[in-house]
Amino acid sequence: MARTLHSLAAQAARSLVYAAVLALAQPAAGESAVTWLESYEDALEEARRTGKPIFLEFRCAP
Amino acid sequence: MLTEAATRRGRLLQQYVTARITRLDRVNLALFDYDRYNTLYFFILNADEQIYLRYGGRDEKSATSYLNLESLELALEKGLELHQLRRQGKLPAPPQPEPLYARDIPALYERTIGRGRCVECHLVGDLLNVQRERDGTLDKLRHLYRAPELSRIGIELDIPRGLRVASATGAVAEAGMRAGDVIRELNSAAVWTFGDFQWEYGSVPLEARAVEIAVERAGELRRLQLRLPPKWWLTDLTYRNLSVDPRVYFASDPLAAGEKADLGLPEVGFASRVRMVDSLSDLLGSHELQVGDIVYGVDGVTADEVADTPELHIKLRKQAGETVTLQVLRAGERLELPLKTSRMSFRK
Repeated sequence: MARTLHSLAAQAARSLVYAAVLALAQPAAGESAVTWLESYEDALEEARRTGKPIFLEFRCAP
Repeated sequence: MLTEAATRRGRLLQQYVTARITRLDRVNLALFDYDRYNTLYFFILNADEQIYLRYGGRDEKSATSYLNLESLELALEKGLELHQLRRQGKLPAPPQPEPLYARDIPALYERTIGRGRCVECHLVGDLLNVQRERDGTLDKLRHLYRAPELSRIGIELDIPRGLRVASATGAVAEAGMRAGDVIRELNSAAVWTFGDFQWEYGSVPLEARAVEIAVERAGELRRLQLRLPPKWWLTDLTYRNLSVDPRVYFASDPLAAGEKADLGLPEVGFASRVRMVDSLSDLLGSHELQVGDIVYGVDGVTADEVADTPELHIKLRKQAGETVTLQVLRAGERLELPLKTSRMSFRK
């Protein structure tokens, strides 16, 4: 029983972390620091223009 | 919110161009190679497509085991540092792989672009294996066991702190690794994140018997020669069960040694008790196994150096469409039952 509860707690914790990482990529309701481009080519062009590195997320659509 | 400008993550992310890719139709799959059985995966790179680091990776239990906001921030900081080095001419670009696009893989093209459908991540992994099978280049062990577990060599990471070792036991302890070490290289390749490490580790040939891991300890780099244990690459494949054919439409649990002895079955072998029979087996006329049956052989073979269940043995050793004969114990009676294997359909 304790093991099951521990397993459920661990699963819940993992789900929270996952949700938090997903939330990182969501547009904020208010001010957001991040604008997500949806095109790799646009990202390359923007990186060339600004000299910034690219943070590229691959998300398998559900 | 997590991405507000005033947060540490917000400040870090503002120094990046951020992009999200949800379909792989026009992505260079060779450049952005990763285990497609990750639901989230990140790369940090520059406008010349030089990849600085990866962030992501998973274990056999969960796709989220190594996703952590603190370690993500460490990765973002490291990415900026590497970008500065690159701009200063201090970080040479490695050779790029030959480009590979979804349209170049006929099995993938036929199922996706050719039908006006999206090229999803897991489809790339699965249909690349279908293409390899067609081409005769599929190595089921190599292409299935591509995310070796760190626990098999005794590494437990302090996940929020990236590649800092929380505990070192077994093979890595014998090699000299200690809690508090920070992994910096694998076989001379720099690794900055778990994603980097898993990708490099997954590229080590299965027949390798040793690897070199460099760790940072008290500001010094120490090179540890790690003797890999037998089958260091072995993992539970349940989560990627559909990655290769054939399908067999049942699942079983390995018998314990005592159960095998009681039933007069060899101690070494994949004898297993059927736990689940997929309803498709009836529809497809695949087999007549029942829950509770004990399958102890496939075409007379009772043991496999890798597989611990008959269904895994079939997946690894047989081709889709083959009919095999199962050796089965049912209510104390020994039976021989046919099983027709199938090819996956990819219907969603």
